Order: sequence, then C-alpha cells, then structure tokens
Amino acid sequence: MLGRGLKRKLSDYEENMAGLSSRQLVLNMCLTKLQTYKMLVEPNLHRSVLIANTVQQESNCCDLRSAEDQIENSLLIVSDDDMSSAISSILKDLDFVEDISPPTCLGAECVFGSFEISNSTSYLKDLAIDDIFEDIDTSMYDSDFCCPPLMPPRPPPLATEEPLKTFPSCNSSSANNIQICRTDLSELDHIMEILVGS
Amino acid sequence: MSQKQVGGPPGDNSTVDWCLYQLNGAAEFEVSEADIISTVEFNHTGELLATGDKGGRVVIFQREPESKNEPYNQGEYNVYSTFQSHEPEFDYLKSLEIEEKINKIKWLPQQNAAHSLLSTNDKTIKLWKITERDKRPEGYNLKDEEGKLKDLSTVTSLQVPVLKPMDLMVEVTPRRIFANGHTYHVNSISVNSDCETYMSADDLRINLWHLAITDRSFNIVDIKPANMEDLTEVITASEFHPHHCNLFVYSSSKGSLRLCDMRASALCDKHSKLYEEPEDPSNRSFFSEIISSVSDVKFSHSGRYMLTRDYLTVKVWDLNMETKPVETYQVHDYLRSKLCSLYENDCIFDKFECAWNGSDSVIMTGAYNNFFRMFDRNTKRDVTLEASRESSKPRAILKPRRVCVGGKRRKDDISVDSLDFTKKILHTAWHPTENIIAIAATNNLYIFQDKVNSEMH
Repeated sequence: MLGRGLKRKLSDYEENMAGLSSRQLVLNMCLTKLQTYKMLVEPNLHRSVLIANTVQQESNCCDLRSAEDQIENSLLIVSDDDMSSAISSILKDLDFVEDISPPTCLGAECVFGSFEISNSTSYLKDLAIDDIFEDIDTSMYDSDFCCPPLMPPRPPPLATEEPLKTFPSCNSSSANNIQICRTDLSELDHIMEILVGS
Repeated sequence: MSQKQVGGPPGDNSTVDWCLYQLNGAAEFEVSEADIISTVEFNHTGELLATGDKGGRVVIFQREPESKNEPYNQGEYNVYSTFQSHEPEFDYLKSLEIEEKINKIKWLPQQNAAHSLLSTNDKTIKLWKITERDKRPEGYNLKDEEGKLKDLSTVTSLQVPVLKPMDLMVEVTPRRIFANGHTYHVNSISVNSDCETYMSADDLRINLWHLAITDRSFNIVDIKPANMEDLTEVITASEFHPHHCNLFVYSSSKGSLRLCDMRASALCDKHSKLYEEPEDPSNRSFFSEIISSVSDVKFSHSGRYMLTRDYLTVKVWDLNMETKPVETYQVHDYLRSKLCSLYENDCIFDKFECAWNGSDSVIMTGAYNNFFRMFDRNTKRDVTLEASRESSKPRAILKPRRVCVGGKRRKDDISVDSLDFTKKILHTAWHPTENIIAIAATNNLYIFQDKVNSEMH
C-alpha cells in the first residue's frame, strides 16, 4: 500500500500544501464570484463561463497527477463528478432567460411565436431569496476574505473519522500532518457542500 | 493638406513625435458615470470622429477644413453634433434594466451628402442619419416669413422661393431601429464592404441584417449548445473582411479566431479556418484560460492580417497561417505575476481594444495607468505613452514612459505596484490615413497628432 513504511520528504509535502492553499484561495474566489453573479438579475455570461472553465480545469488538472501523489489527491480532490455537477448547475442558471430566436417572419404574432422558455431546473429556482443563504456556511470565509459573513457561522458538520479512513497507512511520524490534512479536508468538504447545495 | 504621408515615413514610425492636439472632457473630479466614454471611431475619411458614452449619448467631432484665413485652426476636431442615441429601457418580461451604454459605433461609407452611422447598446442597434442644413427657402407665395398664412388679397404675383444661406444646423435622425435580434449582450457590429448589410454579434450568436430591413435578420452563427451546462465558449468580437463581402471573423473567449465564408452555407457554424495558438506549457497558470480570451479583433486595412488583443498581448495573424500568430507583442507582461490580485478586483476581465495605423505598419492598444502602447511592426520598436492632463501640455511632445519591474530604476520610471488600475485605456482609434489618434481615458477624449503632421498646417 502506498505510504507504508515510506517516508516522504517534508519539503515535498510542504510544497504540495502550499499549492493546496493557493489553489484553495483561487477556488474560493471563483466560488464567491459565481455566487455574486448568480445574485445579479442578469449574470455576465462571458465572465461566468471563464470562471467555470477555470474551476473545471483545476479539477481536471488534479486528476492527471501521478500515482505517487495519490494521498495528496485524496485530500485535495473534490470528486470530478461533484465539480461537474456544480458547474452544470451554475451554467443551467444562466439559461433562465427566455430565448428569442431572431424574427424570421413579418408581423407581431410571428415574433412572439418563436419564444422558447427554458426548462432548467436549477436548484435555486424554487428557493426564496433568503433560503439561498441558509445552507451556506461562511465560517471559512471569515479569515480568507473581507466579505461580511452572510450568515452566523455554524460548526462544520463533517465527521472527523472519515479523513483517517482515506489514508490508513500514514505513519506516526506524520501525526502533525494528519492534523493539517483533517482541517484542509473539512474545508474542502465545505466548498463541496456549498457547490452542490447540500 | 497637400502632402499627406500615410502613417508617416515608411518603416520609421517609432520616431513619430506625438503631441497632444486637444483634450475634451471635464476634469476628473467632475466626472459622472454617464460621461465615461465607451467607444471611439473615426469615419472612413477621418473627417469625423464619433464617441459614445455610458449615458447613451453620441458626440460627433468634425475636423476643421483647411482655410487660409485661419491657419491655426486647421486640423482641430470641433463638436459637430451631440445626440441621445439610446435610453435606458426596462424589460418587463425578464424584469431587468437594459443599459443605455453605447457599446459600439460604426460609420457607413458616405454615399451622398449625408453621413450615417450605426450605434448599439446591449440589445438594440440604431441607424442614424446626420445631415446639414445651411440654406433655407424664402419667398413663399402663401406664407410669410414667420410661416403665417398671407392674406390672399395681397398676393398679386407668383414668385419662386429662393434658397438663402442660414447658420449651419446639423440634424440627426434615427432612420432604422434594429430591435429584438439579440437575447444576449451585443459586443460588436460591423458594416459589410457591400454597404448593404451589416452584422451584429452577441455572446452566442451573430446576425446578418440588411440596412433597410428592421423586422428580420438572418442568424449566421449560433454557438449556443443544446444544454447550457455544456457551454464553455462565448463569442467576444467579430468583424467583416474589409474587401471580401463574404468573409468575416469572430473571436472567442478561448483565444481562437474563426474565419467564416458566407458562401459556404447559410449557417456558418462550421468555420472555414480556425486560428489557434497552442498554449505554452511553461506559462500555464490558474488564469491561463481567462487571459487567453480575445477582447478585440481587427482586420488590417490590407485585409491580409488580423490583429487580436488578449489580456497581456497583441498578436498579428496572417490569414494564411492558422497554427500560430506571425507576431506577438507583450503589452504589460509585468502583470503576469499579479494575475491573482487582478482576478480578485476583476481587472483581469477588462476588455482592451486594438488598432492599426493607416499603412498597417504600427499597432496600438491601451493599458493601465492611462498608458497606451504602440508597436512598430517593421523596426520592432515599441513605445509607452501616457494620456493625462499632467503629462500632456498642448503641442509639447509626449515623453515615453517606462514601467520598472525592480532592478535598476531610472528617473520618471513608475513601479508596477504604483500603477493605477482604475485608469484604463480600453478604447483607442487611429485616423484612417494620418498620424492622428483618439484616446479615451475615462471621460476624457485625447487627440494626439504627429508633431510634423500638425506643423504642416
């Protein structure tokens, strides 16, 4: 099993953790921006697509890492499916506008005849404005951003047993690292909860 | 103007001395958001210069013609006409306000005494006709000078009304309104060389219109996917080829260009040529995708090349080479290490435009801190100039500016961290034949001329 009896250099690990925190920072920023755009009546399509692509590309990037980094992967990665569904839901929201195909015939009745109303079933559609913020835990934003918290922070609901199960073979010399991993994992889970709207 | 050099001495434009010719606009502390200039465009002769602003207004400047009587006024652009092109609208169906900001103005080639231009906001394109009236008829038979009906008993003979000169009056009338063609935001309009049609592009679609027909348009490009969740690319700019009326190009948020031929099929979703440069793996970062988005595309006057602007570079593409640009120029590469903070403050999404000079030998684009850059394609020299009140005394030659990135710092250099990112030059225009440039800096319009050019008048 990977990691059994294998000592990794601390510098390698630190490098990966530094990478993790800057990636996290950018992912956090992407998330904030997408949520802000969603709150606008008419989201900026160009920007939303660029940000969604950036987030997608980051999650794909992580998949391509070598087997040696599998442990880091399991810490860092939000599953590809989760990320895709998060991005899908964001893009579906952008299709809320009624789409007018260009008028191809004369007369007022023809112009209205070509309306097509989107059937997107985004998870935001049925919620009242206040409900949107209910399941967003902003405790992780308080230190990273100057944004005022949308809701009073709640304690993270994540069970702490789970992280340990993903790398049972971590040796005792990296007990400190496990502590760091746990915190980062719970932060990542927060991101995912928000993205998938659980 | 007996001797005009197109674009200055060939191959030596970097020695052009630019000086401020005139500055229009209120001082900075008096700026209201509505005054922010959002587009600048010379007409085909360079006699007229139009600007559009966030408040939906269009201001047209006209160049003073040569006159032996007033030699010092020659070449000055004076306000010719101001009119309200677009008003804010409210879309009741979608419950949102449509901004009146003028996104683009394009002049039609002049075909008679009148001038015409197209102006567009996010949704509606309008055709405006600008006419001059400098004579009026006098000597009507049935009406007197004030227009009141004459007492018929006083009319004893028939007279032919004559045209008498009057003070010049410029009249602007909306001739066509092209509405309801776009769901998404219109980013470009381009008049075809056939002078009968034009196209308008939004994020996902491009429509072809006939200038005389407002109730229908033809959709020629549609990149909207069946499921919006599959959307990964939007249209960012488009333009007709200057000579071939069947060719047009559109750029995308992924940094690619697609050249389309309207003769190939009615719906030009399949491009004739795809211009794309493979990404340099050593420059890869989180923001690679975002900074590759093309913000502007312009054909050269010759029609042989295309100029694109993305966040950090301008690129010249040869229509015959799809694999990579023939030239790449760094506009402000020192920002590469600052992309994270530029993403945070949204500056990374700023859309800079680019321009060719009349002879296609020099290209120009804007940057931050009210800087703008020019690149000479022949000598490979480049220059950074500033459009600001402090650094531009009328008729004084503009001093080149330099941004220092640490290391040796010269006097008057400005460091990267001191750049003002709120002062961005997004819109610039170059006179079609002469070395005259119009630079929009927030609410101010700067017109710079080649010193030699201006002294010739």
